[in-house]
Amino acid sequence: MTAAAVTAAGDIRRRRTWAWITAALVLAYFGATYGIAHGTIYTQGLISQAMIFAVLAVSLDLVAGMTGLYSLGHAGLFALGAYTTALLGHAGWNIYLLLPISIIGAGLVGAVLGTLSLRVSGLYFAIMTFIFSLVVTVILQDFAFTGGLNGTPGPIYPSLPSWAIFLGNPLVWTIAVVLLIAVTIVWSIRASAMYPVLLAIRDAEPFAAANGVRTAAIKIGVFALSAGLAGMAGWAFSFSGYISPQQFTWTTSVNILVMVIFGGINTRLGPIIGAAFVSAFPIVVHIDPLVQELIYGLVFVAIIVFFPGGVMGLVMLVIHRLTRRRSGPPLAAAAAGDTAPVGHVEVEATSSPPRRTGSEEYALEATGITFSYVKGVKAVEEVDFRVRRGSVHGLIGPNGSGKSTLVNLVAGRLRPDEGTIVANGRRIDRLDAATRPAHGIRRTFQSAVLVRDLSVRENVTIGLYHRTPNVAGRSLVWPLLPGALRDHREMRGAADTALQTAGLAASWNGARVADVPHGVEQLTQLAAACVGEPSILILDEPLAGLSTREIEQVSEILNDLRERGVTVIVVEHQTHFIFSMCDDVTVLAAGRLVVSGPAEQVRSNERVREVYLGQ
Amino acid sequence: MLQVLLSGLATGAIYGLVAMAFAIVFYVTRVINFATGQLLMVSIMTVSGLAAVGLPGWAAIIAGLVLSTGFGVGIYFGAVRPVLKVGRGGFAWLVSTLGVAIILASIAAIIFGPTSRAFPELLHHESVRIGDASTTWQELLAIIVAVVVLIAFELFRRRTLFGKVGMAISSDPEMASAIGANATAYAVLAFAIGGLLAGAAGVLVGPITYANPYLGDTYGIAGFIGLMIGGIEKPAAAMGGGLLLGVLSVLANTYINSQAADWFPFAVVVVVLLIAPHGLFASGNLFRRWFGRRGNVATMGTRA
Amino acid sequence: MSGEALQIEGLSAGYGRFDVVHDIALRVESGEAVALLGPNGAGKTTVLRAIMGMLRHRRGRIEVAGTDVTTMPTHRIARGHVGLVPEGRRLFLDQTVEDNLRLGGLRLRHDRERVEALLGSVYELFPAVGRYRNRPANALSGGEQQMVAIGRMMMSDPALMLLDEPSLGLAPLAIQDLARALTALREQGRSILLVEQRVDLALQVCDRVYILSGGRIVRESSASTIDAEGRELIDAFLG
Repeated sequence: MTAAAVTAAGDIRRRRTWAWITAALVLAYFGATYGIAHGTIYTQGLISQAMIFAVLAVSLDLVAGMTGLYSLGHAGLFALGAYTTALLGHAGWNIYLLLPISIIGAGLVGAVLGTLSLRVSGLYFAIMTFIFSLVVTVILQDFAFTGGLNGTPGPIYPSLPSWAIFLGNPLVWTIAVVLLIAVTIVWSIRASAMYPVLLAIRDAEPFAAANGVRTAAIKIGVFALSAGLAGMAGWAFSFSGYISPQQFTWTTSVNILVMVIFGGINTRLGPIIGAAFVSAFPIVVHIDPLVQELIYGLVFVAIIVFFPGGVMGLVMLVIHRLTRRRSGPPLAAAAAGDTAPVGHVEVEATSSPPRRTGSEEYALEATGITFSYVKGVKAVEEVDFRVRRGSVHGLIGPNGSGKSTLVNLVAGRLRPDEGTIVANGRRIDRLDAATRPAHGIRRTFQSAVLVRDLSVRENVTIGLYHRTPNVAGRSLVWPLLPGALRDHREMRGAADTALQTAGLAASWNGARVADVPHGVEQLTQLAAACVGEPSILILDEPLAGLSTREIEQVSEILNDLRERGVTVIVVEHQTHFIFSMCDDVTVLAAGRLVVSGPAEQVRSNERVREVYLGQ
Repeated sequence: MLQVLLSGLATGAIYGLVAMAFAIVFYVTRVINFATGQLLMVSIMTVSGLAAVGLPGWAAIIAGLVLSTGFGVGIYFGAVRPVLKVGRGGFAWLVSTLGVAIILASIAAIIFGPTSRAFPELLHHESVRIGDASTTWQELLAIIVAVVVLIAFELFRRRTLFGKVGMAISSDPEMASAIGANATAYAVLAFAIGGLLAGAAGVLVGPITYANPYLGDTYGIAGFIGLMIGGIEKPAAAMGGGLLLGVLSVLANTYINSQAADWFPFAVVVVVLLIAPHGLFASGNLFRRWFGRRGNVATMGTRA
Repeated sequence: MSGEALQIEGLSAGYGRFDVVHDIALRVESGEAVALLGPNGAGKTTVLRAIMGMLRHRRGRIEVAGTDVTTMPTHRIARGHVGLVPEGRRLFLDQTVEDNLRLGGLRLRHDRERVEALLGSVYELFPAVGRYRNRPANALSGGEQQMVAIGRMMMSDPALMLLDEPSLGLAPLAIQDLARALTALREQGRSILLVEQRVDLALQVCDRVYILSGGRIVRESSASTIDAEGRELIDAFLG
């Protein structure tokens, strides 16, 4: 059996085990539901409330924990679902019809809120959602049709048909199913190939965009999904008897956020634990309501101050302490070879000398590019930049010469004030950065841009997002789709291969990027860019901080890419490397083109020596 | 009309002081103290409580201001500083200051009971005639205090060395440390001033409202809305936003109906945030450009 | 007091779990100008940030003019006579040039005469800065801002001056002005630690040179007698 077949077989065995475990858990879950559905009214009320809040907490974790959009508006979305169901339910609408209506209604409002997140930063966005909550409260309190301060009665939940009476209270079952659906969706996303993408949107937006992630659309979509789940919770909540504005104030929004933070943000169980705590608190601490409020406030301030990782954070800490003795310090050992001191310097490129490709076709043509960050100061002025197909093209110049600006213009992070950029025959200067992978263009960045909380391998899989069909859509039920699991396995395999080609020891693949040295991070970036099989690769100062050995690896990779016909653009300070590796070189200074042409000619050019080497 | 304007400015003065309390803390520390409204409540409850046990008015006021200032500093050390040390730019301080708001309201409710009580008569409600408008000394005092605070703050910020250090800390806290500025000391000062202004607002609004532990929400939210309308980045803009909000609220009250003061502020802030998300008086937005008539119109807008 | 403005021993520091610099040992004698050279990512800025107390994770010992500053907070180190011209200048752009300078003199604010004298000497050294004293700092060009940043550092009359790539983003003419200013400072007997990528500038201004690569000091030499291999080393890094 081949190695791949062995891993595939192992995977299938593992999947089967997980499938059995999941089935057992679901069975236990429904067993517990059965028990509660036959329990006292008191228990039913308590647990139902906790479950509904768990749905809200899980939905908030999706946007706040995974995507970085902190929302203080979920109480408003919750209210939307509850009041829609209550008011229309009383007007005679079928309550089961009201479920999709609540979800879609809340989802649409969520989409609108999501678009707000595109205009303003995290803090302002949180404030705006806070104001949304306030606005909803005012509408609920001040208008007659909502029943005003007194609220409105919720609809009666229909009873079960006679053959199903043995199940017990139908509302309990419904709420249990609602929670199961919410948890399935959110946990599926967490286990899917979408999860690294969401974290990239949260922490490393330029990196995500450079890999073809349409961050705007995804933010809106995720927020709409979260809102829909909150609306669903509202639907279920409306059957609790009577609903009133006091249950949906900004305090409620804060409580939901507290549940998430208390339990542990961006964890599977955290939000659920948090919801249980906050719901159970008033019951367990059964004293004077004022004192209870006080203790509640004290507890949650204490939790946030002392345990920023929440309950799950504490649990993980304990588990780490217990298991630390088994796994030694593996990373330190692997690092020794890489970060050894540089004794003998040899930063010329290795192996094959530059080959003139003989091709006169240009993979990239930028003409008359002008750009200013600030009015009156031109960062780039009337620059023509042409790169021959299949060549390795160096872009050099002193600091402040406009190199990085030009790269960002070509990569789509900036739009030129004047001029055009044509890549592979298509004009791209008016298109934004996320379109570049579709045009076969990938890039790396000067400074660290990877997602620090994810592993090296997971970061590289983000490079495959664009090539894998419908990652976003399938993520909602990912573990249930064999095709998706297969794709995921292939993505990880391709990532490992790319990392190997980049010269990284396999022991790094599972390590968190936050824990790896700079050189490893740089090579990971390179692997992520290459895994997408670009036709044009742009490297922005790829050698910064690399050891001699790592620089040699990069040389080999570039030579290999050139042989495969990939066009490579390298921005660098290390001119020895550039002149030994590149076919052509372009020199910029003070935003203008100094000279561009074959490497040898540029190297011996008088003006270049003046301008760059200060001689 | 003048009547309405004066009344609006007086209301706005209170909102503006609270908004400035928020803004000064944000200016120096990049944190919004969501318990600011409760600091206003602390001062009102203290004054009201002490006056009820026989303390002379002026002593009660001083006690109220001292407590609101002290609690402000306490919030920094207890709920903000420890969170800032650990979190890497998260919003844990948002949740912790909201938690403190709950704590303060509960403590007040436990000590004073959850119902309202009267605020002592400190300033005569004597009418004053200005033009054909009639107002009270209390209202005039509020306006005067707001204007004085605004002018004093701007003078301090722009003319004194310490003010300039504050500006430096606001724009680049690390570099400010590198020239010898103690950022912690300034943070403490900012929280203290925030507490003082909120306390002052409480003293000024006390006579026209009932003292109850849940006041913090009402005025806190109003001040926060004023902050959002005017602009969060500059305390002067926040004061402007608060004053504007006051005037608009009273206008709505007079010309629409008495309920309008409830929802009108929200309508205003929603509209403002849609046009100018960073506030009406924030630098670099449309409002300022029309009025400032500076810069090249062709370069408006931001680059990708 | 020993004649050393700066003494670093066994410094290892970084930002996350891994250190960026390892086991650094260097010194700056009183009145000396020392250069710290190396390619991008070698850790030069990290060393300066460690001296200024801006890094949490550091091992080793740092002494400025005989005082152990290893665990001191940044503002106390600044008040202890260390001045910094950071990478990218980092002027307070919303304030005027003169405001920026006066802020630099914060630690001497009680001694008005001295502050005015220092201000005068800054304007003398940089006439252009004097001309723009009331302009907002963001209205100046890169080179002019660099002069203001150096002036701001001079205003605290520091015993030890740290400069992080002052030539970055400057046009060749501005770099000549910079060299002149640095030479003048050196002639005043200041102790300077200059981090640079421009080798010629560093060798022109400084007495001694350390070369940093991969987070370690790989060579130390006097500027005038830097041997062929050393020069090769530098050239290889920097072209």
